[in-house]
Amino acid sequence: MRRTMMMAALLLGSSAMLAGCDALKPKQTAKSDAAVKEGEFPERPLWGDTHLHTANSVDAFGFGVRLGPEDALRFARGEEVTATTGMKAKLSRPLDFLVVTDHAEMLGGTKALADAPGLLIRDATMKRWHDMMNAGPAGSQRAMAEMLDARGRNAIPEAMMNPEGAVERTKKVWNSNVDAVERYNEPGKFTAFHGFEYTLMQGGNNLHRNIIFRDGEDRVRTVVPIDPTYKATPDEIWNYMDAYEKSTGGRVLAIPHNSNLSNGLMFELTQPGGGPMTADYARRRARLEPVVEITQIKGDSEAHPFLSPNDEFSGYGVAGWELNNLLSNQPKVPAMYAGEYVREALKRGLALQAQTGVNPYKFGLIGSTDSHTALATADEDQFFGKHSGTEPSAARAMAPQNLGTRKGRFGWHYLASGYAAVWAKANTRAAIFDAMTRREVYASTGPRMTVRVFGGWDFTPDDLKGDWVRAGYARGVPMGGELKPGKGAPRLVISALKDPEGANLDRVQVVKGWIDSQGKTHEQLFDVAWSGDRKPVGGKLPAVGDTVDVATATYKNSIGAASLTTVWTDPAFDPKVSSFYYLRVLEIPTPSWPAYDAVKYKLKLPPEVRVKSQERAYTSPIWYTPSQKSGKN
Amino acid sequence: MTAWQARAAALLREPLVHFLVAGAVLFVAMAGRAPDVGERRIVVDEPVVAALVNHHVRAFRRPPTAPELDELIRDHVRGEVYYREALRLGLDADDEVVKKRLRNKMLAIAGADAEAARPSDAELQALLDKDPARYAAPPRYSLEHIYLGDDTPAVRAAATASLQGLKPGARPVIAAAALPLAARFDKASQTDLAAQLGDEFAAALAALPVGTWSGPVVSGFGLHLVRIEQRLPAPPPRLAEVRQRLENDWRSTAVRKAQDAHLQALLDGYDVTIKRPTEPAS
Repeated sequence: MRRTMMMAALLLGSSAMLAGCDALKPKQTAKSDAAVKEGEFPERPLWGDTHLHTANSVDAFGFGVRLGPEDALRFARGEEVTATTGMKAKLSRPLDFLVVTDHAEMLGGTKALADAPGLLIRDATMKRWHDMMNAGPAGSQRAMAEMLDARGRNAIPEAMMNPEGAVERTKKVWNSNVDAVERYNEPGKFTAFHGFEYTLMQGGNNLHRNIIFRDGEDRVRTVVPIDPTYKATPDEIWNYMDAYEKSTGGRVLAIPHNSNLSNGLMFELTQPGGGPMTADYARRRARLEPVVEITQIKGDSEAHPFLSPNDEFSGYGVAGWELNNLLSNQPKVPAMYAGEYVREALKRGLALQAQTGVNPYKFGLIGSTDSHTALATADEDQFFGKHSGTEPSAARAMAPQNLGTRKGRFGWHYLASGYAAVWAKANTRAAIFDAMTRREVYASTGPRMTVRVFGGWDFTPDDLKGDWVRAGYARGVPMGGELKPGKGAPRLVISALKDPEGANLDRVQVVKGWIDSQGKTHEQLFDVAWSGDRKPVGGKLPAVGDTVDVATATYKNSIGAASLTTVWTDPAFDPKVSSFYYLRVLEIPTPSWPAYDAVKYKLKLPPEVRVKSQERAYTSPIWYTPSQKSGKN
Repeated sequence: MTAWQARAAALLREPLVHFLVAGAVLFVAMAGRAPDVGERRIVVDEPVVAALVNHHVRAFRRPPTAPELDELIRDHVRGEVYYREALRLGLDADDEVVKKRLRNKMLAIAGADAEAARPSDAELQALLDKDPARYAAPPRYSLEHIYLGDDTPAVRAAATASLQGLKPGARPVIAAAALPLAARFDKASQTDLAAQLGDEFAAALAALPVGTWSGPVVSGFGLHLVRIEQRLPAPPPRLAEVRQRLENDWRSTAVRKAQDAHLQALLDGYDVTIKRPTEPAS
């Protein structure tokens, strides 16, 4: 355990830092994406957070965060910053990339007044007035007189005249975000993406999307982020994305998140609002939303015990979030779960493909934080909380978090989760974005495990003895890929390596989903590689054990394995039906953040509080679709 | 820089000047429209509509349809009504969020000039000279390693034994354990090695000999024997290569300094009285 660099002394005085407030053109000193050499294939996963809020988000701000995008970027790169509550914070291991995704609806208000001096200096007329005022009291009066005169002649510079001001303001805050992102983007070393969150909500039901641009400032400055105003459907953001791509030639994608708080609306079997789903809708969704955020601070959306009763590890990060929708203004009933959890959505995708010819839910999986502190923390022992009100303190684990209601969410329900792992060929916007569009990504609840999987037809255990990565790409498809029909049954080359700074691994599981000839969907879990010499009993692998000492918030790597590899063959493959396979990799049990808090603040936690868990990684699936002549699906 | 320019630059940094300028802007802007709290008319005139249309065009690359524009206007009116009624009720007073927001706006004003300023090459060079290690690229290594498994006394002993009397160029005879990671790295940066094998492994490389097998070295996975083929220290960083990082650091410090100075100037205009409870809170 050497990941303890975070906490330190309280600082006196103000340390807030706002990012740039002037639409200043940064000099192109950084190399471009094109100058960075791409590897033959991805060598290591790049770790990042695609979902982070700063002082430019209205709710983050309401919770008190005073750190802007620049602090967020510095922190993610490994620099020390001072958190809102005054603590010094430094990520013990820097991230490889970051997307600051402030809520679009705020990117107007905060800094309107602040822009005034910048405006004056840019506009020639205003600059002159500014200088006159600086020349002394007489000059000031003259300037004022000129302004009033100009006012009378309708000759006030346009920038000052904008009657609504909102457009200009949004543009300026957006431009200042763009400035900060450009300054910290260093192709080959650290990638900073332009993006924002589209906070689509239907009656308190979460349909939020993060919007991520592949492009640099030249293109993204031509648009402003939009917020869901009067049309509460995903169409609106898709129209925006299509218009952007068409007019700039750029690329943009959307990542839905917190399906677990959508009350069944995120992954519907119908068109939004009802009626059968159309092929056009399915195609558009699959094209614009290639990745889903499966785990984050506000819970985990992989699988619910109600939907997956045979999965003893389902229900991770479900407590507290399964009761209501996001705003806790509508209770949830079990019938809604199927539209909320990702495994079920992947199955629904197969059903919708049978029905429409297109799979709308053919997406890859990532994790991210959704932190509102400007600090992208997902490690249990250095968790900075959901928002500035839940930064480390003695009270946070048991503090009610009900958004003003009494519906049973408490601080400890927040997960210190998660991160996005991307198999990109280089650390550039282009390479990472392209890996996301081909779904060669996976999710982690925090630990940086290295997970690879290749699907093919002729892999053998001997492949693992040689250059299996090269073989994997040459004779198979990586995670996120589509397995073309072949001979025999699909074989998966599987490799999981523990986080070099973290806990050992318990097991690797293959989650298979398929649709039968009657159109009914199924799922099955296979334990395919595990530590030690455990033998399954009655089809069930015994638990790995537990070395967690809650009293000291420590664990030992005396159980589990550093790495797990295998070549697995589907024992019940039917070439006539559509199916998918993804991996779930479990760590041995480790202390959860409330346990670390309990030690630090000498707390006595009630028994219901989660103090340990088995953290995990989820890979994007590999899909198999039968050829037209071999099956009707 | 002429004396006049220097004086103008100094003036530009004066908080009082910012205040006057911002005040003048507000005055002029307010003279044109009517955000007067007492005013009971809401006029959605051409400029307002044009702004709403512009925003839509910027987002969607097309003007709003007639029903869309109607809704935009209705929403604008709703917003205006709430805004004015809230001000009328004094809801902006003593509102923690409003206070925080205004505070952030003040900070942004105070930092605006530093934000826009351009450091000279000399300033950046001075920053670089102060801490060249901070800006230097990590060293790169070409190396081979043999993974031996968990860190146990037996494995350590076997590792040490395998290195004893090893002839130059010979490979240690020892049972390797499987690890799904490359056995050889070619000019990999210390950062990349740390990400894949752990910080401890990467840090240990600096002290290892080049060209011969040594160890055991501890990684996040257990023990390794390592042969460094080549150690490539990064050349001292040059200004042109790290300009962006230097500018970022320079700006970040300059903005904070400007904000601190601004706050101090404001504080100087206040008499602050603090009365603490006599009994310390338990």
